[in-house]
Amino acid sequence: MSEQSIIVEDVSLSFPKKKTVLQILKRNSNSSFLALDNVSLSVKRGEVVGIIGRNGCGKSTLLRIIAGIFSPDQGSSRSAGKISLLAGLGTGFTGHLTGRENAFLYGSILGHEQTVMKELMEEIISFSELETFIDEPLRTYSAGMKARLGLAVASALNPEILLIDEVLGVGDPVFKEKSKKKILDMVAEAGTVVIVSHSFGLMTSICDRVIHMSNGKIKFIGEPKEAIASYYASEERRN
Amino acid sequence: MEEQVDVPLTEVGPKTSFLSAPISSLSILFSHRFLIQNLLKRETKGRYNNSFLGYSWTVLEPALLSAVYYFLFIMLADNPDRFYPIWVIIGVIVWTCFGKCLQATVTSLTRNASTIHLVYFPRIIFSYSSIGSTVWTTMMSSLVLIPLLLVYDIQISWQLLLVPLAILLAAFNAIGLGLLLAPANCINRDVEHLIRFIVRAGFFVSPVMWTWEMAVERGWAADVVVWNPMVFPITLARDGFLGHVTEFPFHGVMISVGWGLLMWMIGSALFSKYEHSAVKYL
Repeated sequence: MSEQSIIVEDVSLSFPKKKTVLQILKRNSNSSFLALDNVSLSVKRGEVVGIIGRNGCGKSTLLRIIAGIFSPDQGSSRSAGKISLLAGLGTGFTGHLTGRENAFLYGSILGHEQTVMKELMEEIISFSELETFIDEPLRTYSAGMKARLGLAVASALNPEILLIDEVLGVGDPVFKEKSKKKILDMVAEAGTVVIVSHSFGLMTSICDRVIHMSNGKIKFIGEPKEAIASYYASEERRN
Repeated sequence: MEEQVDVPLTEVGPKTSFLSAPISSLSILFSHRFLIQNLLKRETKGRYNNSFLGYSWTVLEPALLSAVYYFLFIMLADNPDRFYPIWVIIGVIVWTCFGKCLQATVTSLTRNASTIHLVYFPRIIFSYSSIGSTVWTTMMSSLVLIPLLLVYDIQISWQLLLVPLAILLAAFNAIGLGLLLAPANCINRDVEHLIRFIVRAGFFVSPVMWTWEMAVERGWAADVVVWNPMVFPITLARDGFLGHVTEFPFHGVMISVGWGLLMWMIGSALFSKYEHSAVKYL
């Protein structure tokens, strides 16, 4: 029986640094940046796991390893079930297409089938509150409208594993509340959730475990409060 | 109690074996057809966005270009073949299809960096959908030939179908090289600048402003240019327009089709091998 939903084993990943011709000729040794350094993690089915850490510590990269966007240099990442990464809402949106066409495009990028998208369209229109604007070109939309459409399409997903990368808080205050509620609903419905966020209050309330990452390594895994304490402790040491 | 279904743990991400890459790319295209349809819509609708003439540009562009070359040719040589503008139009259409397909495939990963960072699906889809939209606009451009049939009083025959076939062959000849270079372009954008130069230079090396028959008249020249895989598609389209199947030498046909097939196999295999390391550079 596999109780585990995600297993990440000894994963290391380094990103190459862009070099100019001169630097290539000089052959300086420091040519790559180690984003993940021997990271291991297993997440049980039904678990909600949070990841915290300062910018550039490898949080988003770890999510992208789990989602299969990056392949690890060493180690392996395996998972059970359909995975969706919620990040950069509205990626692939194009100004000259209408809201509806963009919803189809974005939905198909996220892996929806055509029949599913047709069924979801009503829900997407009502959630995004776009009404007649849905058939106008996207370039006529305000930033908030684009964000609403993006979230409406993305949140219509029903994955077994949901990965969330800093998407809380888009649009005006009213919609912000609505979107937060929607994402919490998705978290409740999804089998397994891994969430990257800077809002520690939310993390303590929804996460079963929280990971504190620093410089591509996992510093701490465990109780949310202890993980946050570990984060603040390492921040103080840095200062 | 929630029902627990036992799902095996699997690795997500690229995992095509080297030899089966060309074939598995075809099944990928089929299983992601809804996505491809939407990507095609984005590219074709965007191309002539905010322009009054819109799609007529696909026809106007080769027509105007040919007019310019025609006057240039009259000035350089005294007594031009009356079909010469047609040869140039067909040459421009078929060559541009090859050039644009090549450039679109080479840049297919770099242009879609933000989508690649958002979700995993086989990235070869980006390459094929940009080929698809280029072929579509080229087919539109080739409609310019229909009124010219009347102007030149040419009988409509089934051989006209050789024109779209030649366009497809031109696109196919671009796929392999494009797939081969797309991951390299992620690492170093010099690749795309080099390709732009090659497409411009190839315009003169290929029979756009000259014809296969002109090369044959010079004897030795035919033996050299037959090695250019784009000579056959362009000649095929020209002869098809006149209503006859080409008399192009068989080994030349083999060179053209063989290049396309070989490069497609190599390109697909290398693309699937290097795509996952290349996207780290995006």
